Order: sequence, then structure tokens, then C-alpha cells
Amino acid sequence: MLKLIEKEKKDDIIKYCLERFGLRQKNLERYHWYEGSKNRIFIGPEKVKRINPESLGLCIFRLDKTPKPTTNFIQLFGEKINKNYIILNKTETVKICKGENLKKKIDVEAGFVALKYKSISLGCAHWNGEIIKNQIPKSKFCNINFL
Amino acid sequence: MYKTQTIKEKIVERYSSLVDNSDQFTNAVKKPLKQTFRINSIKGDKDKILNDMRNYDASIKKIPWCDNAFETDLTNLGSSIQHFSGQIYIQELTSMVPPLIVSNIIKQKTVLDCCAAPGSKTTQMAEIMNNEGHIIANDARHGRIKSLRGNLDRLGITNTTVTLRDFNSFPNTSADVYLVDAPCSSEGTIRKKNAVARKWRQHDYDRFSKLQKNLLKKACEMAPKGSTIIYSTCTLAPEENENVISQILDEEDIDLKKININGLKLDNGVTNWKEEDYNKEVKKCARMWPHHNDTDAFFLARMEKC
Ligand SMILES: C[S@@+](CC[C@H](N)C(=O)[O-])C[C@H]1O[C@@H](n2cnc3c(N)ncnc32)[C@H](O)[C@@H]1O
Repeated sequence: MLKLIEKEKKDDIIKYCLERFGLRQKNLERYHWYEGSKNRIFIGPEKVKRINPESLGLCIFRLDKTPKPTTNFIQLFGEKINKNYIILNKTETVKICKGENLKKKIDVEAGFVALKYKSISLGCAHWNGEIIKNQIPKSKFCNINFL
Repeated sequence: MYKTQTIKEKIVERYSSLVDNSDQFTNAVKKPLKQTFRINSIKGDKDKILNDMRNYDASIKKIPWCDNAFETDLTNLGSSIQHFSGQIYIQELTSMVPPLIVSNIIKQKTVLDCCAAPGSKTTQMAEIMNNEGHIIANDARHGRIKSLRGNLDRLGITNTTVTLRDFNSFPNTSADVYLVDAPCSSEGTIRKKNAVARKWRQHDYDRFSKLQKNLLKKACEMAPKGSTIIYSTCTLAPEENENVISQILDEEDIDLKKININGLKLDNGVTNWKEEDYNKEVKKCARMWPHHNDTDAFFLARMEKC
């Protein structure tokens, strides 16, 4: 089910992380990289023989036509992301955590963006020049009362 | 099925001969538990996270015996931004103890968490291990694996392999630490609203005891010499605790080790219950009574494979 990732795919993702988010390769080096079903990319520990895992490590990307970062990825590496992130205010944060999209003028290149509230990384969104389209998985949506 | 109040009375009555102070025990059982949580430093600096939380919650207090545990007067931290982003994990204090007692031996090591879902202890150990080394987190129930997966994702855990298996048929796997946090009658969670009421039945003790012994035996059999095996339950029933350990001591090549945590009051294991004598070594097990540390009730045993 999970196989070791091909070198070119891994290199593509690492290049994308640096170009899009300023995330350096050294942050991603210590992991074993795997490819699962539906083009999902995982980073995790070394696979153990004879054990058939349900899952291994953390799903950080989906490789469709272009790499698509997951909310797991943005939340885990958010502190090190220094490009193409958007800082939201309280009201916007509550909306995003509920699963809504945002209409807002921002000066960021179109593509996937990291959403933050203060220094807290919230998750992934897609910016098309007009709308910040929420990419946080439904299962994580939440009515935030304390922030 | 009993009402919570009836169960509380029955539990107090059942253990009155084991407890040091019946009145204090009775009062503690009646008192609801405060919400407690720990900080997940994988998702940020501990002091910074705490400061952010103190902006909306002045009631946060540190738990003296656990560096990373806190209590609050709020009841719904699940709707905080820190919970959403995986910076905190809401967890009973008793549940934090098994990872705590192995915290100095799991860094860069392999841990097999035999009954892991929903992952309170798995995620705590992963944090202690700085997301390095390897945890194999197993559970037999598909539905619970889903919540385990959700918690691992939320907390950003990368050092864990999840397996879905009856542990009784788990392939022999070498690890440094085995955690058997066994399914049990859950009496110890009595202070949580309706937690036991839904499940509690007198005749469950025997059924659980057999299940627990098999799970622990399996872990002891696959454990290499020198490895550590932790057994824990959230019940007060000696049938599911000292009785299980006593049988394992008689059958397996293991040593029982004493458990100490600075600032936490732990009672010894009981060596006799309902006219049955257990292996005297089980005194080294640890019982947590609700009135001693203002927690749930809990049981722990720490073993080393000879
Ligand atoms: C007390 S709970 C574990 C709690 C968990 N360790 C935590 O800290 O979040 C016991 C777990 O044992 C699992 N279980 C029951 N029988 C099992 C078996 N034969 N093999 C593996 N897991 C089992 C249950 O599905 C349940 O999730």
C-alpha cells in the first residue's frame, strides 16, 4: 500500500517547499518519505518488516498535477514558513476554522498559502487573486470560542 | 445498567476495605473532575502557548508532579485555537502517568503501544521523544483507529506507524518499551460525567481479566531481554489489576519494578482480595486513588523482561 517515494517526486516537493514557502530542505531531511494511494505523500519513520501498517507518519502533500500541501504540513512546518502566508485577524480566523472562505485583498502570489493567526499556523488555503479558498479538511472544522 | 449515582455508591462500598480513608474517597468520587490538558511542544514553544492561553483563561494552573500538565476551570478547551492547531491535548492526569514513567528511556527508541486508540498516550510519548525514534500504535477497533489517526494528524506526529490488529495475533516485534494500556471496566473514570454508567456491569471483571492477561502475556512473550513493559488500567478492581500481574509473574520471566514520581502520591498494590492471595511482589504496583491527588483512579505496573 505504502511504497518509498521516487527520488524525482521527492525532489519536486522539496523544491516546491523552498520556492513557495521558503522552507529549507534541512527541515525535511530526517524523515523517510512514502507514497500512498490517491497520490498522497507521507513523511514518517522507517517501515518495519512484517508489519502491515494502516498508516505511517503524517500525510504532508498530494501530488496531483502540481503539489498540494496538506493542513498537517502547514501546521507542522508553519513556524519555518516565511513566504506566501497570510496573517488573519480574529474574525477571519473564526470563519476559516468553521470552514468558510474569505474575500480579502492581499499581496501574495496566486497558489497555495499558509494561514496563520498571530504565530499559530492554522492550515492550508488556495489564493486565486480574489478569494482565499479554504483547504482545511471538513473533519477539522470547529467553532472557535477561545483565541 | 445503573444510574451514575448508584454506581458511585457501589464502587465506594466495594473498595471501602482497600482504601485508607473512606470519607475522603467518597467525597472525591462525588466531586467532578477539572479539565486538564498538556502542551504539545511539537507545535510550538511551551511558554508561548501558555501565555497565549492565559490571555483568555486566567484559571490555568500547573500540575506540580508533571512538567507539562495543566488544569483549568474552563470546560470546553476543545473549542480553543490551541486545540484546533494541535498545540494542546485534553487528557486526564492519570492517563499522563504511563508515558511519564518511561520518559527517560524512550528517546530515540522503539515503543510498541499495544492498545493505542484514541492516542492520548501515543501522542504524549511522541512529544517526549521529540517526534523521533519510532512508535508502533496498534488497536483492534477500526472506529477507534480513526480517532487515533485524527489525533496524530492534529498533533503533527511523524514518528508513528498505525496498525489495526487484535494484539493477540500481532507479529513478534522487538521494541524497547511495550505499553499495554488495557481495555477495562473503567471504574476509575467515575468522576467523569456518565463515563462508567454506560458500561459498568458486575460480571465484567472476569471477562476483562482474561482479556487483559492475554494481552499482557503476548507483550511479555515478544519482549526482548532488558525491555520494559508497562501495564495500566483505569479501574480499581484487583481482578483486573494485581490479579493479572500476579498470574503473569508466576508464568513469565519478568521482574516487577517499583514506580515513583516526585510529588505524586501512589499507593501500593494489594496482595489479597476476596479471599485470594496474590504473588507478594504485586505490592510494587501503583494504585492511584481519586482522593490522593484529586484525579481519576488508575493502576500501573512496570515490568522488565529478564
Ligand atoms: C483503555 S483503551 C486505550 C486508550 C489509549 N491507550 C489512550 O491512551 O488513548 C483500550 C483500547 O484497547 C483496544 N483493544 C481492545 N481489545 C484489543 C485487542 N485484542 N488488541 C488490541 N487492542 C484492543 C480498544 O479498542 C481500546 O481502544
